[in-house]
Amino acid sequence: MNVLGMKTLLAKEVRRFMRVPGQTVLSPLISTTLYFIVFGVSISGRVQTVEGVPYLHFIVPGLVFLGIANNAFLNSSSSLFITKIQGTVVDLLVAPLGPGELMAGFIGGAMVRGLVVGLLTWAVATFFTGFSLEHAGVAAYFLILSSYVFSVLGMLAAVWAEKFEQINFFPTFVMLPLTFLGGVFYSVRELPAPWNTVSLFNPMVYMVEGLRYGMLGRSIYSPLGAGSILFAVAVGATALTYAVLRSGYKMKA
Amino acid sequence: MSVPALELQGLSKRYGEFTALHTVDLTIHPGEIFALLGPNGAGKTTMIGSVCGLVKKSSGSIRVFGKDLDQDPVGPRYDIGLVPQEINFDPFFTVAESLRIQLGFYGRPANEARIDEVLTALNLHAKKDAYTRALSGGMKRRLLIAKALVHKPRLVFLDEPTAGVDVELRRDLWTYVRKLASEGTTIVLTTHYLEEAEELADRVGIINEGRLLMVEDKATLLRRFGERRVIITFEQPQPGLSEAGKRFAARLSEDGRTLTYVERDGCAPSGELLRALYAEGQLISDVETRRSRMEDVLIEILRGRPQQAA
Repeated sequence: MNVLGMKTLLAKEVRRFMRVPGQTVLSPLISTTLYFIVFGVSISGRVQTVEGVPYLHFIVPGLVFLGIANNAFLNSSSSLFITKIQGTVVDLLVAPLGPGELMAGFIGGAMVRGLVVGLLTWAVATFFTGFSLEHAGVAAYFLILSSYVFSVLGMLAAVWAEKFEQINFFPTFVMLPLTFLGGVFYSVRELPAPWNTVSLFNPMVYMVEGLRYGMLGRSIYSPLGAGSILFAVAVGATALTYAVLRSGYKMKA
Repeated sequence: MSVPALELQGLSKRYGEFTALHTVDLTIHPGEIFALLGPNGAGKTTMIGSVCGLVKKSSGSIRVFGKDLDQDPVGPRYDIGLVPQEINFDPFFTVAESLRIQLGFYGRPANEARIDEVLTALNLHAKKDAYTRALSGGMKRRLLIAKALVHKPRLVFLDEPTAGVDVELRRDLWTYVRKLASEGTTIVLTTHYLEEAEELADRVGIINEGRLLMVEDKATLLRRFGERRVIITFEQPQPGLSEAGKRFAARLSEDGRTLTYVERDGCAPSGELLRALYAEGQLISDVETRRSRMEDVLIEILRGRPQQAA
Protein backbone atom coordinates (compact mmCIF):
# COMPACT_ATOMS: atom_id res chain seq x y z
CA MET A 1 0.00 0.00 0.00
CA ASN A 2 1.48 3.35 -1.07
CA VAL A 3 0.28 5.38 1.91
CA LEU A 4 2.38 8.45 1.13
CA GLY A 5 1.22 8.36 -2.50
CA MET A 6 -2.38 8.25 -1.35
CA LYS A 7 -1.88 11.10 1.14
CA THR A 8 -0.11 13.16 -1.51
CA LEU A 9 -2.98 12.74 -3.96
CA LEU A 10 -5.51 13.64 -1.27
CA ALA A 11 -3.55 16.75 -0.24
CA LYS A 12 -3.15 17.72 -3.89
CA GLU A 13 -6.91 17.43 -4.44
CA VAL A 14 -7.69 19.60 -1.43
CA ARG A 15 -5.08 22.19 -2.43
CA ARG A 16 -6.44 22.19 -5.97
CA PHE A 17 -9.93 23.27 -4.96
CA MET A 18 -8.63 25.60 -2.25
CA ARG A 19 -6.63 27.46 -4.92
CA VAL A 20 -9.92 28.62 -6.41
CA PRO A 21 -12.23 28.98 -3.37
CA GLY A 22 -14.51 31.47 -5.12
CA GLN A 23 -15.40 28.86 -7.69
CA THR A 24 -15.31 25.73 -5.55
CA VAL A 25 -16.70 26.86 -2.19
CA LEU A 26 -18.16 30.35 -2.31
CA SER A 27 -20.16 29.97 -5.52
CA PRO A 28 -21.99 26.76 -4.47
CA LEU A 29 -22.51 28.22 -1.01
CA ILE A 30 -24.25 31.25 -2.51
CA SER A 31 -26.39 29.05 -4.80
CA THR A 32 -27.53 26.85 -1.95
CA THR A 33 -28.18 29.85 0.28
CA LEU A 34 -30.29 31.39 -2.47
CA TYR A 35 -32.37 28.20 -2.60
CA PHE A 36 -32.85 28.60 1.12
CA ILE A 37 -33.92 32.21 0.87
CA VAL A 38 -36.06 31.88 -2.27
CA PHE A 39 -37.82 28.62 -1.44
CA GLY A 40 -37.69 28.76 2.32
CA VAL A 41 -38.44 32.32 3.15
CA SER A 42 -40.99 32.84 0.36
CA ILE A 43 -42.89 29.56 0.81
CA SER A 44 -42.73 29.45 4.60
CA GLY A 45 -45.21 32.33 4.65
CA ARG A 46 -47.85 30.03 3.12
CA VAL A 47 -46.70 26.59 4.27
CA GLN A 48 -46.41 26.71 8.03
CA THR A 49 -45.23 23.18 8.81
CA VAL A 50 -44.26 19.98 7.01
CA GLU A 51 -44.26 16.69 8.93
CA GLY A 52 -44.74 18.73 12.08
CA VAL A 53 -41.65 20.88 11.48
CA PRO A 54 -41.62 24.59 10.49
CA TYR A 55 -41.01 24.73 6.73
CA LEU A 56 -37.83 26.82 6.99
CA HIS A 57 -36.36 24.23 9.38
CA PHE A 58 -37.66 21.36 7.26
CA ILE A 59 -35.62 22.29 4.17
CA VAL A 60 -32.27 22.83 5.95
CA PRO A 61 -31.14 19.14 5.95
CA GLY A 62 -32.08 18.81 2.27
CA LEU A 63 -30.10 21.91 1.33
CA VAL A 64 -27.09 20.77 3.35
CA PHE A 65 -27.36 17.45 1.51
CA LEU A 66 -27.66 19.30 -1.81
CA GLY A 67 -24.42 21.19 -1.11
CA ILE A 68 -22.61 18.01 -0.12
CA ALA A 69 -23.86 15.89 -3.02
CA ASN A 70 -23.26 18.44 -5.76
CA ASN A 71 -19.83 19.52 -4.62
CA ALA A 72 -18.51 16.09 -3.76
CA PHE A 73 -19.62 14.88 -7.19
CA LEU A 74 -18.31 17.91 -9.03
CA ASN A 75 -14.93 17.78 -7.35
CA SER A 76 -14.04 14.18 -8.08
CA SER A 77 -15.63 14.20 -11.53
CA SER A 78 -14.07 17.43 -12.74
CA SER A 79 -10.67 16.80 -11.18
CA LEU A 80 -10.21 13.31 -12.63
CA PHE A 81 -11.81 14.24 -15.96
CA ILE A 82 -9.49 17.23 -16.35
CA THR A 83 -6.44 15.06 -15.69
CA LYS A 84 -7.62 12.92 -18.61
CA ILE A 85 -8.13 15.94 -20.85
CA GLN A 86 -4.88 17.74 -19.97
CA GLY A 87 -2.85 14.52 -20.03
CA THR A 88 -1.66 14.60 -16.42
CA VAL A 89 -3.47 11.29 -15.88
CA VAL A 90 -0.18 9.84 -17.17
CA ASP A 91 1.43 10.87 -13.86
CA LEU A 92 -1.18 8.88 -11.96
CA LEU A 93 -1.09 5.81 -14.18
CA VAL A 94 2.70 5.50 -14.31
CA ALA A 95 3.14 6.11 -10.57
CA PRO A 96 2.77 3.20 -8.14
CA LEU A 97 -0.80 4.12 -7.30
CA GLY A 98 -3.30 1.25 -7.50
CA PRO A 99 -7.09 1.64 -7.72
CA GLY A 100 -7.31 1.83 -3.91
CA GLU A 101 -4.84 4.69 -3.64
CA LEU A 102 -6.44 6.57 -6.54
CA MET A 103 -9.89 6.22 -5.00
CA ALA A 104 -8.71 7.29 -1.56
CA GLY A 105 -7.04 10.39 -2.99
CA PHE A 106 -9.81 11.58 -5.27
CA ILE A 107 -12.66 10.58 -2.97
CA GLY A 108 -10.99 12.06 0.10
CA GLY A 109 -10.46 15.39 -1.64
CA ALA A 110 -14.02 15.48 -2.96
CA MET A 111 -15.47 14.59 0.44
CA VAL A 112 -13.60 17.47 2.02
CA ARG A 113 -15.05 19.92 -0.51
CA GLY A 114 -18.58 18.47 -0.21
CA LEU A 115 -18.48 18.61 3.57
CA VAL A 116 -17.00 22.13 3.63
CA VAL A 117 -19.81 23.44 1.41
CA GLY A 118 -22.48 21.41 3.26
CA LEU A 119 -21.35 22.54 6.69
CA LEU A 120 -21.05 26.18 5.59
CA THR A 121 -24.59 25.94 4.18
CA TRP A 122 -25.73 24.63 7.54
CA ALA A 123 -23.91 27.49 9.29
CA VAL A 124 -25.72 30.03 7.05
CA ALA A 125 -29.05 28.32 7.72
CA THR A 126 -28.59 28.63 11.49
CA PHE A 127 -28.81 32.42 11.09
CA PHE A 128 -32.40 31.93 9.91
CA THR A 129 -33.51 28.91 11.91
CA GLY A 130 -31.17 28.57 14.85
CA PHE A 131 -28.99 25.51 15.46
CA SER A 132 -30.62 22.11 15.63
CA LEU A 133 -28.81 18.78 15.98
CA GLU A 134 -30.96 16.08 17.53
CA HIS A 135 -28.88 12.98 16.83
CA ALA A 136 -25.26 13.93 16.17
CA GLY A 137 -24.10 10.39 15.36
CA VAL A 138 -26.87 9.85 12.80
CA ALA A 139 -26.25 13.26 11.24
CA ALA A 140 -22.51 12.58 11.00
CA TYR A 141 -23.18 9.16 9.44
CA PHE A 142 -25.40 10.62 6.72
CA LEU A 143 -23.17 13.66 6.13
CA ILE A 144 -20.04 11.59 5.73
CA LEU A 145 -21.52 8.67 3.82
CA SER A 146 -23.50 10.93 1.45
CA SER A 147 -20.34 12.87 0.62
CA TYR A 148 -18.53 9.56 0.12
CA VAL A 149 -21.17 8.13 -2.23
CA PHE A 150 -21.24 11.20 -4.46
CA SER A 151 -17.46 11.42 -4.54
CA VAL A 152 -17.32 7.81 -5.73
CA LEU A 153 -20.03 8.42 -8.33
CA GLY A 154 -18.18 11.51 -9.56
CA MET A 155 -15.07 9.45 -10.06
CA LEU A 156 -17.02 6.82 -11.95
CA ALA A 157 -18.53 9.50 -14.21
CA ALA A 158 -15.06 10.94 -14.90
CA VAL A 159 -13.71 7.56 -15.90
CA TRP A 160 -16.61 7.04 -18.28
CA ALA A 161 -16.72 10.53 -19.81
CA GLU A 162 -14.67 11.37 -22.87
CA LYS A 163 -16.16 14.79 -23.61
CA PHE A 164 -17.18 17.80 -21.53
CA GLU A 165 -20.77 17.20 -22.58
CA GLN A 166 -20.65 13.73 -21.06
CA ILE A 167 -19.21 14.91 -17.75
CA ASN A 168 -22.11 17.36 -17.47
CA PHE A 169 -24.61 14.61 -18.21
CA PHE A 170 -24.78 13.23 -14.66
CA PRO A 171 -25.28 16.45 -12.69
CA THR A 172 -27.83 17.77 -15.18
CA PHE A 173 -29.84 14.73 -16.16
CA VAL A 174 -29.43 12.43 -13.18
CA MET A 175 -28.50 14.27 -10.01
CA LEU A 176 -30.56 17.41 -10.43
CA PRO A 177 -33.90 15.64 -11.06
CA LEU A 178 -33.26 13.00 -8.40
CA THR A 179 -32.29 15.66 -5.85
CA PHE A 180 -35.25 17.91 -6.56
CA LEU A 181 -37.54 14.87 -6.50
CA GLY A 182 -35.77 13.59 -3.39
CA GLY A 183 -37.77 15.41 -0.79
CA VAL A 184 -35.47 18.38 -0.29
CA PHE A 185 -38.30 20.94 -0.47
CA TYR A 186 -41.28 18.76 0.43
CA SER A 187 -42.19 15.52 2.13
CA VAL A 188 -42.44 12.67 -0.39
CA ARG A 189 -45.25 11.22 1.76
CA GLU A 190 -47.41 14.14 0.70
CA LEU A 191 -46.94 13.41 -2.99
CA PRO A 192 -49.99 12.05 -4.84
CA ALA A 193 -49.96 8.44 -6.04
CA PRO A 194 -48.10 7.03 -7.90
CA TRP A 195 -45.29 9.54 -7.26
CA ASN A 196 -45.08 8.74 -3.58
CA THR A 197 -44.38 5.11 -4.57
CA VAL A 198 -42.01 6.08 -7.38
CA SER A 199 -40.03 8.15 -4.87
CA LEU A 200 -39.25 5.00 -2.91
CA PHE A 201 -36.83 4.06 -5.71
CA ASN A 202 -34.94 7.33 -5.42
CA PRO A 203 -31.96 6.71 -3.11
CA MET A 204 -31.62 10.43 -2.45
CA VAL A 205 -34.90 10.39 -0.52
CA TYR A 206 -33.30 8.15 2.10
CA MET A 207 -30.16 10.29 2.30
CA VAL A 208 -32.21 13.46 2.84
CA GLU A 209 -34.55 11.79 5.32
CA GLY A 210 -31.68 10.24 7.25
CA LEU A 211 -29.97 13.60 7.59
CA ARG A 212 -33.30 15.17 8.53
CA TYR A 213 -33.63 12.67 11.36
CA GLY A 214 -30.12 13.43 12.56
CA MET A 215 -30.60 17.20 12.46
CA LEU A 216 -34.28 17.67 13.32
CA GLY A 217 -35.19 14.37 14.98
CA ARG A 218 -38.02 13.83 12.46
CA SER A 219 -38.13 11.57 9.44
CA ILE A 220 -40.73 9.63 7.49
CA TYR A 221 -38.37 6.61 7.33
CA SER A 222 -36.50 4.85 10.06
CA PRO A 223 -32.88 6.04 10.17
CA LEU A 224 -31.76 2.43 10.32
CA GLY A 225 -33.50 1.57 7.06
CA ALA A 226 -32.35 4.76 5.34
CA GLY A 227 -28.83 4.24 6.68
CA SER A 228 -28.78 0.65 5.41
CA ILE A 229 -29.83 1.75 1.94
CA LEU A 230 -27.13 4.42 1.91
CA PHE A 231 -24.56 1.89 3.09
CA ALA A 232 -25.60 -0.55 0.35
CA VAL A 233 -25.30 2.20 -2.30
CA ALA A 234 -21.85 3.09 -0.93
CA VAL A 235 -20.64 -0.52 -1.05
CA GLY A 236 -22.03 -1.05 -4.57
CA ALA A 237 -20.53 2.19 -5.93
CA THR A 238 -17.16 1.42 -4.31
CA ALA A 239 -17.02 -2.10 -5.72
CA LEU A 240 -17.98 -0.93 -9.19
CA THR A 241 -15.46 1.94 -9.22
CA TYR A 242 -12.67 -0.28 -7.93
CA ALA A 243 -13.40 -2.88 -10.60
CA VAL A 244 -13.57 -0.25 -13.35
CA LEU A 245 -10.26 1.32 -12.30
CA ARG A 246 -8.59 -2.05 -11.97
CA SER A 247 -9.71 -3.02 -15.47
CA GLY A 248 -8.25 0.20 -16.93
CA TYR A 249 -11.57 0.91 -18.65
CA LYS A 250 -11.28 4.21 -20.57
CA MET A 251 -8.14 5.06 -18.61
CA LYS A 252 -5.64 2.88 -20.44
CA ALA A 253 -5.38 2.35 -24.18
CA MET B 1 24.56 -12.34 -14.57
CA SER B 2 22.54 -9.34 -13.41
CA VAL B 3 18.76 -9.29 -13.66
CA PRO B 4 17.65 -7.47 -16.83
CA ALA B 5 16.20 -4.02 -16.28
CA LEU B 6 13.42 -4.89 -18.71
CA GLU B 7 12.39 -8.14 -20.29
CA LEU B 8 9.60 -8.36 -22.86
CA GLN B 9 8.50 -11.78 -24.04
CA GLY B 10 5.97 -12.19 -26.81
CA LEU B 11 4.51 -8.76 -26.09
CA SER B 12 1.53 -8.06 -28.33
CA LYS B 13 -1.07 -5.34 -28.45
CA ARG B 14 -4.13 -5.50 -30.64
CA TYR B 15 -6.78 -2.82 -31.15
CA GLY B 16 -9.60 -4.81 -32.78
CA GLU B 17 -8.30 -5.93 -36.14
CA PHE B 18 -5.22 -3.73 -35.93
CA THR B 19 -2.10 -5.16 -34.34
CA ALA B 20 0.08 -2.42 -32.89
CA LEU B 21 2.73 -4.79 -31.49
CA HIS B 22 3.56 -8.25 -32.85
CA THR B 23 5.05 -10.63 -30.23
CA VAL B 24 7.97 -8.42 -29.31
CA ASP B 25 10.88 -10.00 -27.46
CA LEU B 26 13.42 -7.64 -25.99
CA THR B 27 15.89 -7.60 -23.11
CA ILE B 28 17.40 -4.36 -21.83
CA HIS B 29 20.37 -4.55 -19.49
CA PRO B 30 20.83 -2.43 -16.38
CA GLY B 31 22.75 0.77 -16.96
CA GLU B 32 22.52 0.78 -20.74
CA ILE B 33 21.09 3.48 -22.97
CA PHE B 34 18.79 1.80 -25.45
CA ALA B 35 17.37 3.76 -28.38
CA LEU B 36 14.17 2.56 -29.97
CA LEU B 37 13.90 3.87 -33.48
CA GLY B 38 11.14 3.70 -36.03
CA PRO B 39 8.77 5.84 -38.07
CA ASN B 40 5.56 7.35 -36.70
CA GLY B 41 3.04 4.68 -35.73
CA ALA B 42 5.71 1.97 -35.59
CA GLY B 43 4.70 0.92 -32.06
CA LYS B 44 7.37 2.66 -29.99
CA THR B 45 4.95 4.51 -27.71
CA THR B 46 2.68 1.45 -27.44
CA MET B 47 5.63 -0.62 -26.28
CA ILE B 48 6.65 1.96 -23.69
CA GLY B 49 3.02 2.46 -22.62
CA SER B 50 2.63 -1.28 -22.02
CA VAL B 51 5.51 -1.22 -19.56
CA CYS B 52 4.48 2.03 -17.89
CA GLY B 53 0.85 1.08 -17.25
CA LEU B 54 -0.69 3.29 -19.93
CA VAL B 55 -1.56 0.50 -22.35
CA LYS B 56 -3.23 -2.85 -21.61
CA LYS B 57 -1.20 -5.49 -23.39
CA SER B 58 -3.06 -8.20 -25.28
CA SER B 59 -0.57 -10.98 -24.57
CA GLY B 60 2.99 -11.67 -23.56
CA SER B 61 4.90 -10.86 -20.42
CA ILE B 62 6.73 -7.83 -19.06
CA ARG B 63 9.34 -8.04 -16.32
CA VAL B 64 10.90 -4.97 -14.72
CA PHE B 65 14.04 -5.84 -12.76
CA GLY B 66 12.78 -9.42 -12.64
CA LYS B 67 9.28 -8.58 -11.39
CA ASP B 68 6.39 -9.71 -13.57
CA LEU B 69 3.83 -6.95 -14.10
CA ASP B 70 1.01 -9.52 -14.30
CA GLN B 71 1.80 -10.68 -10.77
CA ASP B 72 2.52 -7.23 -9.36
CA PRO B 73 1.24 -4.42 -11.58
CA VAL B 74 2.07 -1.65 -9.07
CA GLY B 75 5.31 -2.54 -7.23
CA PRO B 76 7.69 -2.36 -10.21
CA ARG B 77 6.44 1.13 -11.01
CA TYR B 78 8.44 2.58 -8.09
CA ASP B 79 11.48 1.97 -10.31
CA ILE B 80 10.05 3.55 -13.47
CA GLY B 81 10.12 7.11 -14.74
CA LEU B 82 8.46 8.24 -17.95
CA VAL B 83 8.85 11.38 -20.00
CA PRO B 84 5.72 11.20 -22.15
CA GLN B 85 5.65 12.40 -25.71
CA GLU B 86 2.86 14.93 -25.15
CA ILE B 87 3.49 17.93 -22.92
CA ASN B 88 1.18 18.00 -19.91
CA PHE B 89 1.10 20.18 -16.83
CA ASP B 90 -1.17 20.89 -13.91
CA PRO B 91 -1.81 24.65 -13.97
CA PHE B 92 -2.75 24.81 -10.29
CA PHE B 93 0.77 24.12 -9.06
CA THR B 94 4.25 25.59 -9.21
CA VAL B 95 7.26 23.77 -10.58
CA ALA B 96 8.52 22.86 -7.08
CA GLU B 97 5.05 21.77 -5.94
CA SER B 98 4.69 19.56 -9.01
CA LEU B 99 7.96 17.85 -8.16
CA ARG B 100 7.03 17.44 -4.48
CA ILE B 101 3.74 15.86 -5.58
CA GLN B 102 5.60 13.58 -7.95
CA LEU B 103 7.93 12.47 -5.14
CA GLY B 104 4.91 11.77 -2.96
CA PHE B 105 3.23 9.67 -5.66
CA TYR B 106 6.33 7.48 -5.63
CA GLY B 107 6.18 7.12 -1.86
CA ARG B 108 9.06 9.49 -1.20
CA PRO B 109 8.92 12.45 1.15
CA ALA B 110 9.58 15.94 -0.16
CA ASN B 111 13.32 16.35 -0.75
CA GLU B 112 14.31 19.92 -1.54
CA ALA B 113 17.95 18.99 -2.19
CA ARG B 114 16.89 16.46 -4.82
CA ILE B 115 14.42 18.91 -6.37
CA ASP B 116 17.14 21.57 -6.57
CA GLU B 117 19.56 19.08 -8.10
CA VAL B 118 17.17 18.03 -10.87
CA LEU B 119 16.04 21.57 -11.61
CA THR B 120 19.65 22.77 -11.78
CA ALA B 121 20.65 19.91 -14.08
CA LEU B 122 17.80 20.81 -16.40
CA ASN B 123 18.43 24.54 -16.19
CA LEU B 124 15.00 25.18 -14.67
CA HIS B 125 15.97 26.27 -11.19
CA ALA B 126 15.14 29.93 -11.83
CA LYS B 127 11.51 28.88 -12.38
CA LYS B 128 11.25 26.78 -9.25
CA ASP B 129 8.45 28.88 -7.74
CA ALA B 130 6.71 29.79 -11.01
CA TYR B 131 3.30 28.34 -11.82
CA THR B 132 3.56 25.68 -14.50
CA ARG B 133 1.03 27.54 -16.67
CA ALA B 134 3.50 30.45 -16.90
CA LEU B 135 6.29 28.32 -18.38
CA SER B 136 7.27 28.41 -22.04
CA GLY B 137 6.92 25.25 -24.15
CA GLY B 138 10.58 24.35 -23.74
CA MET B 139 10.41 24.88 -19.99
CA LYS B 140 7.31 22.71 -19.75
CA ARG B 141 9.30 20.00 -21.52
CA ARG B 142 12.12 20.44 -18.98
CA LEU B 143 9.57 20.09 -16.19
CA LEU B 144 8.26 16.86 -17.71
CA ILE B 145 11.79 15.49 -17.67
CA ALA B 146 12.34 16.68 -14.10
CA LYS B 147 9.10 14.98 -13.02
CA ALA B 148 10.19 11.71 -14.57
CA LEU B 149 13.57 11.78 -12.85
CA VAL B 150 13.00 13.39 -9.47
CA HIS B 151 12.24 10.09 -7.67
CA LYS B 152 15.49 8.55 -8.97
CA PRO B 153 13.95 5.76 -11.03
CA ARG B 154 16.22 2.89 -12.06
CA LEU B 155 14.51 2.57 -15.46
CA VAL B 156 13.68 5.74 -17.38
CA PHE B 157 11.68 5.97 -20.57
CA LEU B 158 12.22 9.08 -22.65
CA ASP B 159 9.56 9.12 -25.35
CA GLU B 160 10.66 11.77 -27.83
CA PRO B 161 12.04 13.91 -25.00
CA THR B 162 13.51 16.62 -27.18
CA ALA B 163 10.75 16.92 -29.78
CA GLY B 164 10.36 20.58 -30.67
CA VAL B 165 12.89 21.92 -28.18
CA ASP B 166 15.93 24.08 -28.67
CA VAL B 167 19.51 22.91 -29.03
CA GLU B 168 20.35 24.07 -25.52
CA LEU B 169 17.85 21.76 -23.86
CA ARG B 170 18.89 18.90 -26.09
CA ARG B 171 22.50 19.34 -25.01
CA ASP B 172 21.49 19.71 -21.32
CA LEU B 173 19.44 16.54 -21.55
CA TRP B 174 22.16 14.56 -23.29
CA THR B 175 24.63 15.53 -20.61
CA TYR B 176 22.20 14.56 -17.87
CA VAL B 177 21.26 11.26 -19.55
CA ARG B 178 24.93 10.30 -19.81
CA LYS B 179 25.41 11.17 -16.13
CA LEU B 180 22.38 9.05 -15.14
CA ALA B 181 23.61 6.11 -17.20
CA SER B 182 27.08 6.38 -15.66
CA GLU B 183 25.39 6.15 -12.24
CA GLY B 184 23.61 2.93 -13.27
CA THR B 185 20.24 4.19 -14.49
CA THR B 186 18.82 2.32 -17.46
CA ILE B 187 17.53 4.60 -20.20
CA VAL B 188 15.12 3.68 -22.98
CA LEU B 189 14.92 6.45 -25.53
CA THR B 190 12.70 6.95 -28.54
CA THR B 191 13.54 9.80 -30.80
CA HIS B 192 13.10 11.18 -34.26
CA TYR B 193 16.47 12.89 -33.95
CA LEU B 194 18.68 10.06 -35.06
CA GLU B 195 21.65 12.18 -34.13
CA GLU B 196 20.37 11.82 -30.56
CA ALA B 197 20.39 8.02 -30.75
CA GLU B 198 23.79 8.06 -32.40
CA GLU B 199 25.12 10.38 -29.73
CA LEU B 200 23.71 8.57 -26.70
CA ALA B 201 22.75 4.96 -27.31
CA ASP B 202 24.72 1.84 -26.47
CA ARG B 203 22.27 -0.34 -28.36
CA VAL B 204 19.59 0.40 -30.92
CA GLY B 205 16.31 -1.39 -31.60
CA ILE B 206 14.52 -0.75 -34.87
CA ILE B 207 10.77 -1.19 -34.93
CA ASN B 208 8.33 -0.87 -37.80
CA GLU B 209 4.65 -1.76 -38.09
CA GLY B 210 4.73 -3.23 -34.59
CA ARG B 211 7.59 -5.62 -35.33
CA LEU B 212 11.01 -5.31 -33.75
CA LEU B 213 13.16 -5.71 -36.84
CA MET B 214 16.50 -5.83 -35.12
CA VAL B 215 18.42 -5.04 -31.97
CA GLU B 216 22.10 -4.34 -32.30
CA ASP B 217 25.00 -2.54 -30.67
CA LYS B 218 25.12 0.92 -32.15
CA ALA B 219 28.69 0.53 -33.35
CA THR B 220 27.96 -2.87 -34.92
CA LEU B 221 24.83 -1.55 -36.55
CA LEU B 222 26.63 1.40 -38.06
CA ARG B 223 29.40 -0.91 -39.23
CA ARG B 224 27.09 -3.58 -40.67
CA PHE B 225 24.60 -1.30 -42.30
CA GLY B 226 26.54 1.88 -42.54
CA GLU B 227 28.86 2.65 -45.38
CA ARG B 228 31.79 4.91 -45.99
CA ARG B 229 31.87 6.85 -49.20
CA VAL B 230 35.43 7.62 -50.32
CA ILE B 231 35.67 10.39 -52.90
CA ILE B 232 39.04 10.63 -54.62
CA THR B 233 39.83 13.73 -56.65
CA PHE B 234 42.48 13.40 -59.36
CA GLU B 235 44.87 16.15 -60.35
CA GLN B 236 43.96 15.58 -64.00
CA PRO B 237 40.64 14.39 -65.43
CA GLN B 238 40.68 10.67 -66.28
CA PRO B 239 39.62 9.52 -69.75
CA GLY B 240 37.94 6.40 -68.30
CA LEU B 241 37.80 4.04 -65.32
CA SER B 242 41.25 2.57 -64.69
CA GLU B 243 41.84 -1.15 -63.96
CA ALA B 244 42.08 -0.44 -60.23
CA GLY B 245 38.82 1.47 -60.38
CA LYS B 246 37.11 -1.43 -62.17
CA ARG B 247 38.52 -4.00 -59.73
CA PHE B 248 37.06 -2.10 -56.77
CA ALA B 249 33.76 -1.33 -58.59
CA ALA B 250 34.34 2.39 -58.07
CA ARG B 251 32.44 5.01 -60.06
CA LEU B 252 34.09 7.76 -62.09
CA SER B 253 32.31 11.09 -62.38
CA GLU B 254 31.25 12.30 -65.85
CA ASP B 255 33.98 14.93 -65.92
CA GLY B 256 36.55 12.27 -64.98
CA ARG B 257 37.84 14.25 -62.01
CA THR B 258 36.47 12.22 -59.08
CA LEU B 259 36.27 8.55 -58.27
CA THR B 260 33.73 7.37 -55.71
CA TYR B 261 34.17 4.14 -53.80
CA VAL B 262 31.46 2.85 -51.44
CA GLU B 263 33.07 0.90 -48.63
CA ARG B 264 30.75 -1.45 -46.72
CA ASP B 265 31.39 -4.06 -44.09
CA GLY B 266 33.12 -6.99 -45.86
CA CYS B 267 34.38 -4.89 -48.78
CA ALA B 268 38.05 -4.26 -49.48
CA PRO B 269 39.27 -1.32 -47.42
CA SER B 270 39.65 1.98 -49.26
CA GLY B 271 43.38 2.01 -48.46
CA GLU B 272 43.84 -0.87 -50.89
CA LEU B 273 42.17 1.13 -53.64
CA LEU B 274 44.42 4.10 -52.92
CA ARG B 275 47.51 1.90 -53.06
CA ALA B 276 46.31 0.42 -56.37
CA LEU B 277 45.74 3.90 -57.79
CA TYR B 278 49.22 5.02 -56.72
CA ALA B 279 50.63 1.87 -58.30
CA GLU B 280 48.92 2.85 -61.54
CA GLY B 281 50.63 6.23 -61.27
CA GLN B 282 47.48 8.23 -60.69
CA LEU B 283 48.07 11.65 -59.15
CA ILE B 284 45.59 12.30 -56.39
CA SER B 285 44.91 15.84 -55.17
CA ASP B 286 42.30 15.13 -52.47
CA VAL B 287 40.59 12.29 -50.59
CA GLU B 288 37.32 12.87 -48.80
CA THR B 289 35.37 10.32 -46.75
CA ARG B 290 31.71 10.52 -45.78
CA ARG B 291 30.50 8.08 -43.13
CA SER B 292 26.79 7.24 -43.18
CA ARG B 293 24.89 8.26 -40.09
CA MET B 294 22.16 6.56 -38.11
CA GLU B 295 19.56 8.15 -40.36
CA ASP B 296 20.97 6.43 -43.45
CA VAL B 297 21.14 3.14 -41.56
CA LEU B 298 17.54 3.40 -40.44
CA ILE B 299 16.35 4.12 -43.95
CA GLU B 300 18.35 1.16 -45.26
CA ILE B 301 16.88 -1.19 -42.67
CA LEU B 302 13.31 0.01 -43.10
CA ARG B 303 13.71 -0.55 -46.83
CA GLY B 304 14.44 -4.20 -46.11
CA ARG B 305 18.19 -4.58 -45.96
CA PRO B 306 18.20 -6.34 -42.56
CA GLN B 307 16.76 -9.52 -44.04
CA GLN B 308 19.51 -9.60 -46.66
CA ALA B 309 22.17 -8.94 -44.10
CA ALA B 310 20.89 -11.10 -41.27
